[in-house]
Amino acid sequence: MEFPNHHRQIVEDLMAGKFVLPQERTYQVLRDNEQSYTYFFKASFNYELRLTQDYAYIVSEESAEMLSRDICIFIALLSYELDRDGKNFLERIQFSEFEMEEIENYFTNSSYIDLILSNKQLKDADARKNFINTLNRRNIIEKTGDNRFVFTSAHKFFMDFANDIVKYENAEKDE
Amino acid sequence: MKAEPKTILRFLVEHYDVIAELFETQLNEGIIAYEVLNQIISKHEHDVKSQLIDYKILSPVNDNYEIRTVYYNLIEFILSEFKPMLPETIEKYHTSVAELFRKIKENINGDKVTLSQRLNDLAIEIRSFYEMVERNTMSLLQETRELKANVKKIDYREKIIRASRWIDEYIIPLNKILDINHSASVANKLYEISEFSNKYRLNFDDEGARVQFEKLYFQLIQVNDNLLRQSKILTNELLPLIERIRTESIILTGWITFMKNPYKRKVPKLLKRKEVSVYSNDTFYNASEIFEQFKNEVDVYFEEEEHESEKWIFDKEHYTKKLKDNLPVENFFSWCNKTLKEDYKKVEIEKFFALTTLAFDEDIEREYGAKPSFDKIRINDLTLTVPKVTINQQPQLIDPNHGIS
Repeated sequence: MEFPNHHRQIVEDLMAGKFVLPQERTYQVLRDNEQSYTYFFKASFNYELRLTQDYAYIVSEESAEMLSRDICIFIALLSYELDRDGKNFLERIQFSEFEMEEIENYFTNSSYIDLILSNKQLKDADARKNFINTLNRRNIIEKTGDNRFVFTSAHKFFMDFANDIVKYENAEKDE
Repeated sequence: MKAEPKTILRFLVEHYDVIAELFETQLNEGIIAYEVLNQIISKHEHDVKSQLIDYKILSPVNDNYEIRTVYYNLIEFILSEFKPMLPETIEKYHTSVAELFRKIKENINGDKVTLSQRLNDLAIEIRSFYEMVERNTMSLLQETRELKANVKKIDYREKIIRASRWIDEYIIPLNKILDINHSASVANKLYEISEFSNKYRLNFDDEGARVQFEKLYFQLIQVNDNLLRQSKILTNELLPLIERIRTESIILTGWITFMKNPYKRKVPKLLKRKEVSVYSNDTFYNASEIFEQFKNEVDVYFEEEEHESEKWIFDKEHYTKKLKDNLPVENFFSWCNKTLKEDYKKVEIEKFFALTTLAFDEDIEREYGAKPSFDKIRINDLTLTVPKVTINQQPQLIDPNHGIS
């Protein structure tokens, strides 16, 4: 039986919970073989492959809910603080590099400090540093230095979630 | 008594602060209330109320006042403080311009004075149309930038509503008006007039009208260029900017809603990593983690376990004797099976094969019968097909140490 090129890399990355990004060679292979990979992950692990123009990833019934929640809180806080600071938060997150010092400033001076302190992964500088490494492992950010990083296109996965909150709330109101 | 023009202009200059404040009030409230007028005037050194009315700058509306349109437009122009107009207001130019153009076309050979007047009116209509478009674009851009900077600190939801309204009610309809490819657009009508005036500026018997057509033609070239620029501002700058405000506001509203109750909302599904996966880069680390647990060495003592059963050794002497005692044996392999069954509860194939070695002893005489015949012997789950062999000769005793184990 023949598998597409980089098959092992694709399976390794996706099974590690990583987002596969369009600039990676594996992404194109996934795109070219979308149907067979959808079937492969479903038949082998009962996982669902999701492929968008910004990322590919797999989901299972069993979800890393805690991590997902913490990522949502992290991006929500950052977006809010950037906007409060008069920045175009979408552009900043999409195109700019962040320094940990900047993140620290936003988080330590945030009006959501109670929420931050109550969250194990975001409560202090050390926890946040580890958290950034977790995001890096999942390809949600890319570290550009010891204390610097950029968001990858996978951040849109979470922005879409925020977008949907408003959409569903409005739909509920309309009903 | 009619005031001198210079006196009015001087008054406007000297008391500009009062007038600007009155303008601001009318811009926001739509009218200047009697009390507000008094309040504004009392803040300044001179009581100019009577002059404002005498010079016809203010006109009374019931008990309140408003700035006359001509002054209002002047100050509006000076301050570039325009409120965006609904495109319906601009759309009216389509009718007036089209109507004038129709009359010009139909009466091109009619009265020259009327033609001249119509051409003049058409030029004025086109100019006011363009100015209104320009003012609207500029004011929309200004309002959008203000919304972006959120100077008025308005709520995100309100931002979404405002941005959506501007897109749907102002920008998209305005863009339609400026779309030259749209047959019902004003821009398309202007293009038609431009073609028409180009033809008549070169070929018309009345020189005065030719000059007017030429003027109209060059005015339209200028207006078309400007409209194109306005259209570009709308599509390239304003629309993306306001779309972004809307998207940003929606996302931010979503995040703020989420953060009101972050632990109770459903969150997007992320794959839960399993410790063991099909392929894993972490195998080495997983293994080293397990081995690390044994770093603190503790003395471990093993107690030797006793064997439950002793290893079976084929006692050749014993079985040779048994064979000898049973001679003659008609079916050797059956005898082997039967003998073992008598000695052991369970007969292993190993024991069976060991016992059958007796048949290969050189000293015994084997008889196979005239025709080869076979037997089936069942040992546990195994069925063996074996030949029928009869043993007659007494086997010689041999050294028992050569047994099979």
